[in-house]
Amino acid sequence: MESIEHILENEILPKVTKPLRYVGNEHNSVKKNWEEVKLRFLFAFPDLYEVGMSHLGLRILYHLVNEKSEYLMERVFAPWTDLEAILRQENIPLFSLESWRPLTDFDCIGFTLQYEMSYTNILNMLDLGKIPLKTKERDETYPLIIAGGPCAGNPEPLAEFIDVFVIGEGEEVILEMLDVIARHHEVFGKNKEKNKLLDTLASLEGLYVPSLHQIMHKEKRIVKRVVKDLDESYFPLKPIVPYMEIVHDRIMLELFRGCTRGCRFCQAGMIYRPVRERSGDVLKEQARQLVKNTGYNEISLTSLSTSDYSGIAELTKSLLDAYEKQQIGLSLPSLRVDSFSVDLAQQVQRVRKTGLTFAPEAGTQRLRDVINKNVTEENLLEVAEAAFYAGWTHLKLYFMIGLPTETMEDIEGIAELAYRVLRRGIEINKEKKRSKQPKITVSVSSFVPKAHTPFQWQAQDSIELLMEKQQYLKKRLKDKRISYNYHEAKLSFLEAVFARGGSELSDVLLAAWKEGCKFDSWTEHFCFDKWLKAFAEAGVDPMKIANEPGDIDTVLPWEHIDYGVSKRYLWEEREKAYGMKTTSDCRYGKCWDCGVCPGLDVKLSIKNKKGGGECGNQN
Amino acid sequence: MVIRIKYGKTQEGRFLSHLDLMRTMERAFRRAGLPLAFSEGFNPHPKVSFASALAVGVTSEGEYLDVELQEEISIEEIKARLSEALPAGLVVLGIKEVRERKKSLTALINIARYNIRVPLEDSVKDEEIFEAIEQLRQASEIYVTRSGKRGTRQVDIKQGIFRIEGKIDNSNLELHADLQTGSEGNVKPAEVLAALERQGRLFSGKQPRIHRVGLFIVERGEVMTPMEC
Repeated sequence: MESIEHILENEILPKVTKPLRYVGNEHNSVKKNWEEVKLRFLFAFPDLYEVGMSHLGLRILYHLVNEKSEYLMERVFAPWTDLEAILRQENIPLFSLESWRPLTDFDCIGFTLQYEMSYTNILNMLDLGKIPLKTKERDETYPLIIAGGPCAGNPEPLAEFIDVFVIGEGEEVILEMLDVIARHHEVFGKNKEKNKLLDTLASLEGLYVPSLHQIMHKEKRIVKRVVKDLDESYFPLKPIVPYMEIVHDRIMLELFRGCTRGCRFCQAGMIYRPVRERSGDVLKEQARQLVKNTGYNEISLTSLSTSDYSGIAELTKSLLDAYEKQQIGLSLPSLRVDSFSVDLAQQVQRVRKTGLTFAPEAGTQRLRDVINKNVTEENLLEVAEAAFYAGWTHLKLYFMIGLPTETMEDIEGIAELAYRVLRRGIEINKEKKRSKQPKITVSVSSFVPKAHTPFQWQAQDSIELLMEKQQYLKKRLKDKRISYNYHEAKLSFLEAVFARGGSELSDVLLAAWKEGCKFDSWTEHFCFDKWLKAFAEAGVDPMKIANEPGDIDTVLPWEHIDYGVSKRYLWEEREKAYGMKTTSDCRYGKCWDCGVCPGLDVKLSIKNKKGGGECGNQN
Repeated sequence: MVIRIKYGKTQEGRFLSHLDLMRTMERAFRRAGLPLAFSEGFNPHPKVSFASALAVGVTSEGEYLDVELQEEISIEEIKARLSEALPAGLVVLGIKEVRERKKSLTALINIARYNIRVPLEDSVKDEEIFEAIEQLRQASEIYVTRSGKRGTRQVDIKQGIFRIEGKIDNSNLELHADLQTGSEGNVKPAEVLAALERQGRLFSGKQPRIHRVGLFIVERGEVMTPMEC
């Protein structure tokens, strides 16, 4: 009898596309002796390897846990459909990358919730691991199923499947959680007294145990965990270097967390508050070690709105000077709309050419004020001009449609803005005697109302209206120098349903998975009809969830989840939106009393210059 | 200085595609702190050239690449540093300095030697196997289907099969084959197996194990390894 490992390696993996997705063994990956550790944790990413390995959270947690001698963490990703078919046919359970052990061998499995449309993959992975899907169907002998990440902000659609949710920044709580589980095993024995364990876990700050919450802790609010000082926090300096190409295949240097620009649609801008920067010296030392330990030829300066880092000019110059000779380039994934950003991008070109992308988000000043995107048309034209003069001929612009109060005038505004930028490009190219035509890419996504944002009460436009707006732009942007792309409206609709809906969605999710839904964010797999069937089966009206507004008295499904930003503040922001009043960034002046700093006992931390906001600052 | 590295791909590294290998090698060179020389131009890249690509799933103990360095370093030092920096699945087997490089590796190398182990169909008799191999040797032409950018086409691989021998070991066929590789043409082991299969149901359908023993240069009847020239 051949071992499963042997069959997998010799018979199955040679037949599937990209077998490297499943074999592990990468440089800096960690294989531990199972007998020498107290707990075995499996990090599960409900998408393909190349997507999951690009995720900074995985890199942090994987190495943080593996640096502890008493614990181990391994990885598993969603298998592509070709491998899934063989696993099901041969009755082989889904296995981890490091030890090729089945999911059921682990003590805990932690799923990361990065986007709503990965939920069906979670169910599919549990099923492939031969683990019953629902919490109540799993006794002590099964691994504890944990989930965290931004979508845990509205955990209820998954509450029937997940034992414990982690709210907030995982590195702050994971070791505490593992200590509790290990102690429980010592006292009660392995796989015993699951309810007692859940009860103890529920008493930890930041952990949400849905099965107990309804019965015992109804009034309890689950407050997010937050890293207070990024300089002191753990950061992996020997991250895994994949063999195969992944989506973000480079060093990720995390400059800061949080963003207080205050865009009212943006969940990240609300749930990762306050802004906490890492010092320039710490970053430079991390970069040095990461370069040495990975061999990557590119460093990405990672954060929300990278040009907002207080020491960005100095850091960029210093990294370029240090690594130019080795042809190690920088990338700035997220730039503010101003000419300073173009200067930065120009610096970066010294080593490697990059594209330029800016996000004005809305087409008119009125609507940009509504969403608090503090960017003016002059800003954008200035940026475009600076970029064209600096030699770029291709600019990418991001917009969103379906925003609150939007009219067709705002949609027309997107087209006009694009043409204005294009015309400047043509003029400048003529002036510079370049033969090359400028090119503008206009990418349009659809607004999805998200929990814990000022727009959480907002209805999403109907699918039909979103499509009408998309088609309007398609007609308007027919110029061959403009390339226009937009997101599938039906997918955005489902995102809104899962972003705003509650526990009634468990049944929908289960039905959709049974219909065969998986990899929903992959166009070739997305099947809206199956979803509609699932809603009908579960007796849930998705339009009621996505397309109907709430008001201040509406009890939201995520009322018990607390990211420190008060509901009062969110509502005030919503009111200001309708009054077209903007809110300034608290980093540079007035504190708007969102509640985060006093509520979580944490401070806004700007490392590279004096001044800036301090909480409670009323000037 | 230009150095030639002989390396192997083990069981753990056999799923790396050629592109994966190129990326992985560059990163290993960087981790090893080798002072890479870069090409000029818009986006400079390290001056590394590989011998013929190895198919995904195939192990090897005889692969080669040339890499140019900005500074002189001792061969021992390069070997030590690179061995340390390579990930599981890739091993350094030898390094030498290339003083006069007349031709690229792909232009030099023209033979790839393989050991192939194929699980046999239960009912098949040894004679049938030997007969099939003999047929292959005697054939004046052997057409296989290749798919490329412009659809599929028929290619005669007969002239590219320099040597083929087989023996039976424990319900497996052990094939030793010297096949053409390099800029003049390439014959893949899978194509040879497909040609054998056409002569009757010989193989069980289980995955064959293909191992490249080495790459060689045949010049005027003389066989050399890339380390010897």
